[in-house]
Amino acid sequence: MEPVRRKSDLPQVPAAIDFESLRADFPIFAASRQPLHYLDSAASAQKPACVVESISQCYNHGYGPVHRGLYPLAESASEDYEASRRTLANFINAAGAEQIVFTRSATEAINLVAQGWAARYLQPGDEIWVSQMEHHANFLPWQRVCTSHGSRLRIIPLDSEGRLDLEQAEGLFGQKSRLIAITQVSNVLGTINPIGEIVATAKQQNIPVLVDAAQSVGHMPLDVQDLDCDFLVASAHKMCGPTGIGFLYGKTDRLAATEPLLLGGGMVDEVNIDNSSWAEMPARFEAGSPNLAGAIGFAAAADYLRGIGLQAIEQRVKELARLAYEKLSSVDGIRLYGPGPGLDSSGILSFNIDGIHPHDLAQIAAEHGVAIRAGHHCCQPLMQRLGVSSTARASFNLYNNEQDIAALVAAIQDAKRILGYR
Amino acid sequence: MSSDSVYKAVLLDHFHNPRNKGELDAMDMVKRGSNPRCGDEIEVGIASSNGVLETVRFRGRGCSICLASASMMTECTSGLELQQARQLIARMQQWFSNPDNEAPPNENLAALGTIRQHPARKKCVLLAWQALDETLDGIEDQFAASNR
Repeated sequence: MEPVRRKSDLPQVPAAIDFESLRADFPIFAASRQPLHYLDSAASAQKPACVVESISQCYNHGYGPVHRGLYPLAESASEDYEASRRTLANFINAAGAEQIVFTRSATEAINLVAQGWAARYLQPGDEIWVSQMEHHANFLPWQRVCTSHGSRLRIIPLDSEGRLDLEQAEGLFGQKSRLIAITQVSNVLGTINPIGEIVATAKQQNIPVLVDAAQSVGHMPLDVQDLDCDFLVASAHKMCGPTGIGFLYGKTDRLAATEPLLLGGGMVDEVNIDNSSWAEMPARFEAGSPNLAGAIGFAAAADYLRGIGLQAIEQRVKELARLAYEKLSSVDGIRLYGPGPGLDSSGILSFNIDGIHPHDLAQIAAEHGVAIRAGHHCCQPLMQRLGVSSTARASFNLYNNEQDIAALVAAIQDAKRILGYR
Repeated sequence: MSSDSVYKAVLLDHFHNPRNKGELDAMDMVKRGSNPRCGDEIEVGIASSNGVLETVRFRGRGCSICLASASMMTECTSGLELQQARQLIARMQQWFSNPDNEAPPNENLAALGTIRQHPARKKCVLLAWQALDETLDGIEDQFAASNR
């Protein structure tokens, strides 16, 4: 196994990045007939040409079956697949590439831990903790495994600004707590949770922590050895990579204690009529022909973002979100949710306008070329906490600029005019 | 704003000045439709006599499309025979499920046509119509029970 680079070996962040010129890396903006103000990156991010080219290169010049052939094309395909795994291990500073399991999505990765790990050890009366701000993907798998095992799903409540209220989470680090599954960044509120702090306290009680990093990987520097979490899940398409692929990172002992969710080709050592044995990690978790082009595109996205610098991207996006928050705050009748600009806030803003349904707002925004999301964002427990059925959401990424914010504000004003806000 | 905006004057008029909206206490049958995905909730009530829909009313909350569609529906269906109302509901559903079916089921509903280009909002348009369909089921069930 090739050694993984340490944090200290990572390239330094350049002094200044011309983010405006980076927009040209994303062909969709030039291809769009009318100006495209894409403020829905938290749903799915746009793709730079290098990611698309890496996928096209794979299919046109380097395509073959992975881990299933002895001829050169099959061998190079297998090597490309494993090189992608190493790139992603490096990207989050995993100690070894075998700790990265490719999945279809972050959702699948969480389900793998819920059914392949938690379901094996959970006892009646045990507790699994999530927070009130979780995406359904980090809520439903735990709800199901708790229900089937007579265990209890506990909720970390939120304070009035949308931060975790750890003081009110009595028993979080208690004797019954078997797992804390928590998002690093809220996909609705933009809150950045104090994962390091939670893991440090949980570790003292030997409570494992799973981090849902779907909104944080590729958006900010992330080091799993530094975080010291037991599991972490990510999704390629939210970090400028292709759809249909994500990964599960796990500490070696945790993955060793996890049973595969899918059985089939490629994940076995020996198959007999009466019994079978599994392959080594991570192959045992990757039944079926692997998603080669997806893995290559995923790695290309990681390389692209790393080339710009995660710290620079985080700063840029936070700056845009701060500016947007400032402009939106002055809109009459707006209600903004979440902690607002600051160290613990990312590039995601949710809001509602008095008397205007978020769907109407999003539709009128669309007519202005502004792409925002409206709905419950797969976070119904959070909507219940906020006392609303849905919100509008604007989310930023490295390709956004000040014009996008101005267009959003203009669209909101137009929605108020059209729908007769008084 | 593009010329093919969803927000036609007719729709906005129904949204701002909804017809037949309010209390449903005097209705013979009331059914509720909801879309938890966006929080829309509509109740449709009908009063009928001798197989004719004398009154169709609604109340509830929702987006402008949902409320405008409900308002337009009450105007188009009041006074219809129950079977005619059933047929109109069916044509409305077909209009929104078949892209080739260009003609609106009723000229007074034509303004809803722009929303056919936005499949994500089909449910907003049809929520009240589905609730009306259920009130008709309820009336028929009542009728069948009284003749048993």
